[in-house]
Amino acid sequence: MSHSDLYVEVDRSAYTNALAENSPVTKTFFALSALILCVSALSARAFIVPIILFIICTTLTLGLAKVKPHLYLNMFIYPTFMIILSCIFIALFFGVGEPLTQITLPWTIWTIHKSGISMALNIFFSVMGSLSCLFFLVLTTSITDLSLLLRRVHVPTVLVELAILIYRYIFMFMEISHTMTTAQKLRLGGTGWMKKIREVSLLAGNLFIRTLEQGERTFVAMNARGYDGNIYALEEFPKPKKTMIAAIILFDILIVAVIFLTLNIGVI
Amino acid sequence: MLFRVENLTHQYSDGTLALNAISLTFDKGERIALLGTNGSGKTTLLNHFNGILKPTSGNIYFEDKPLKYDSKSLLNLRKRVGFVFQDPNDQLFAPTVKQDVAFGPLNLGYPIETVKKIVDDALKTVGMTEYANKPPHFLSGGQKKRVALAGVLAMQPEVIIMDEPTSSLDPIATSDILHLLLQLNKEKGISLVLATHDVDIVPLFANKLYILNKGKIVSEGTPQTSFSNTELIRNVNLRSPRIAHLFEVLKKEDGLPIPDDLPLTISEARKEILHLLQVTKDQTKTQNL
Repeated sequence: MSHSDLYVEVDRSAYTNALAENSPVTKTFFALSALILCVSALSARAFIVPIILFIICTTLTLGLAKVKPHLYLNMFIYPTFMIILSCIFIALFFGVGEPLTQITLPWTIWTIHKSGISMALNIFFSVMGSLSCLFFLVLTTSITDLSLLLRRVHVPTVLVELAILIYRYIFMFMEISHTMTTAQKLRLGGTGWMKKIREVSLLAGNLFIRTLEQGERTFVAMNARGYDGNIYALEEFPKPKKTMIAAIILFDILIVAVIFLTLNIGVI
Repeated sequence: MLFRVENLTHQYSDGTLALNAISLTFDKGERIALLGTNGSGKTTLLNHFNGILKPTSGNIYFEDKPLKYDSKSLLNLRKRVGFVFQDPNDQLFAPTVKQDVAFGPLNLGYPIETVKKIVDDALKTVGMTEYANKPPHFLSGGQKKRVALAGVLAMQPEVIIMDEPTSSLDPIATSDILHLLLQLNKEKGISLVLATHDVDIVPLFANKLYILNKGKIVSEGTPQTSFSNTELIRNVNLRSPRIAHLFEVLKKEDGLPIPDDLPLTISEARKEILHLLQVTKDQTKTQNL
């Protein structure tokens, strides 16, 4: 799946998943608290917790929200690749203290430390768990809901409005750049590395000008409907169920208990 | 007179005269078409009606009062004079259809409950109620145009200005939007000003036609009289509606007795053909005697 396709699919999922109509407060509270717990588990070296949270979030995303597994998998590909690479690196070259093995090289002694392996292990699971929490949020909550939420917690309006406008126009410009790239390809551009770089730069420059022009036209259109500097919200917010919030708090307390129970289990 | 324009001239910064001493008027309830090729000044002229552009010289009067350009007056003007842009992508900016249609009434300061009702009504009028919670990039071109129109209707204007309303619409969408506009004109008395270069739709809705060429008005009148001046139409790089062209050829090349005001629509053509058949029947009858 190309990068822009993924973006479009994630957005579509946010509107069409089974949990789309639920309160964004619930979803955000759950995902953020789980995220914080995942990261805390890292410093507590309790890597069982991120594994548990990973399983829970994935079940929620695929089972409850009924997101397509194909999409979920695609979202993991790049980050997982990167984290595995990083963790291998950490395991092999980082850490202090008790060594696992030592390999003699012509110029030095290469020590693989147990703490390095331990660090790599904890980081890997913690990151995978955090990703699953974040993906749950992103795949089930639309930007509209999120921006309403931000407004409620008094994030400065100008930032929220920027977010709303940028969101809308990212899609438009993805479409335009896709069209322009296709047009270039149809005129047999794109063979050879230097040519490709040149074409991308031409595209970027042209796109930049078009964004400026579009911004101008949108501003005129907004003025024609009475824009006075504030984007007022049509507040459409499903209220979170009190029972759900209580359940999430209980869940978080449980997870904290598990962290304490499995403290330092990730120390090899 | 609802709108009166006197000797309006608009000059671009590079010196070109986009509009050159234009004068026109229109009244409440009228349906005006501004016809002209690309670059004739249609959009520039339209942009003067709701204060987007200011004239370099000349005057514009709304209800016999000159336009004022401070923000309060502009807001009042734009409440009453709605503008639908040619490209709905310029107009639809909000994350969902409902929020976009609500933009206008919210800016006018209506309470939220009122706004919700207005938005529902506007979406119902254009037939887009099921799309209320969808983001604009999920919609097709014709649907986007309808949402853009709903956004303007939600401000409950007395005049609706549309720049090329039927460009990039398929035949059904074109017909739907025209029907909708005619309905709004008939039921709510909303005046319409449409700029277009689609000559075939002009006789279907307009009762007053202005033809622009290079920033000047070259013809003023009803579609019937304006389109009958076929030489003028060709000189400004336009063409007559197909039906009018057909009857022009029948008149000039085949010498059929067709009146000066050429038929412009299918129903007018039908009447004229049946009339001609009757005339030829009578002629052959008298010849046979």
